[in-house]
Amino acid sequence: MNERTDAVVGEEPPRASAGAVLSYLLGGLAFWGLIGWGADRALGFDTLFLPIGLLLGLVGGIYLIITQYVRS
Amino acid sequence: MYSAASEEGCHLFDPGCKFEAPGTSLFFPNPWLDFGLPATSGITKYTLVLVVALLVAAGFWYFTTRNAKVVPGRGQSMAEMLVSFIRDQITRTTMGKEGDKFIPLLLTLFLFIFSMNIMGLIPGLQLPVTSNLAFPAVLAIFVFILWNAVGIRRHGVGGHIKARLVPGGVPVWILPVVVPIEALSNFVIRPATHMIRLFATMFAGHLLLAVFAAGGWYMFNLFGAPNAGLGLLSAGFSGIALIGFLVFTAFELFIMAVQAYVFVLLSSIYLGEAMEGAH
Repeated sequence: MNERTDAVVGEEPPRASAGAVLSYLLGGLAFWGLIGWGADRALGFDTLFLPIGLLLGLVGGIYLIITQYVRS
Repeated sequence: MYSAASEEGCHLFDPGCKFEAPGTSLFFPNPWLDFGLPATSGITKYTLVLVVALLVAAGFWYFTTRNAKVVPGRGQSMAEMLVSFIRDQITRTTMGKEGDKFIPLLLTLFLFIFSMNIMGLIPGLQLPVTSNLAFPAVLAIFVFILWNAVGIRRHGVGGHIKARLVPGGVPVWILPVVVPIEALSNFVIRPATHMIRLFATMFAGHLLLAVFAAGGWYMFNLFGAPNAGLGLLSAGFSGIALIGFLVFTAFELFIMAVQAYVFVLLSSIYLGEAMEGAH
């Protein structure tokens, strides 16, 4: 366990982070965007919850990136 | 192989002749044997090339290790170099000593993917197996299942799911927003990008080579041109395409090795993460 920590966390960030950052952003936009779109459809709005959902997803994704990869 | 322009023998300046760029039909060869099952392609060139790639990968180990000695010969030392490369560059840096038990798997994956990729450069075959999404998909899904199995075995079902869904250091009231994102990112997007990364690079590289070859062939019309100057010009352009083809062939060889390495490296990172649990 210690060796792993030394090798990966020691100087450089974990190497999977580039892919993970992208998938957080995509996942956030896709999931909450879809929820917003579905809410629009179900409640009969044109575009009200879609942008809200996209925004929420974007904020959530960025928040995850910060807590998982920037602060740690 | 590059039959878009070559089969018709169609060249620049020929009357009624138009350049047809090679398209995605390259990746859907006509089946030699079709069983008529839905959503299957039957036995195609891919099947043949896959078998050849498998034989190459298996033959490599057979011939390099059948007479293993304490003082290795040329073949054996090549195989040993490959093993220590996977160990030192991939498993030790991502999993530490614990990762040693995955060396055989990752080594096999690396050599198999590399030999599947390199089939794109073998004259006569010239079709990288990994340029069809089905083959990287099977490998990526296999790694995904193994990733779950390793995590569940180490941390239990609940522990594994929790480690993958609940990010550390996040207040409880934010969890409803981020847990679905984590779920989508870990269980859908990551295996998808894992397979698409390999597939897309091989697909694009093969198409690029095909365009160079078809374009070079199409432009070569030394004797059929209206006059000698245009004939020489067409030969010159054709030569440039040929040089491009050769340069990109060398570049493709490099890409093929890099993509096999990246696929295995990512597999190793994922497996290491599953062993580690919550982060």
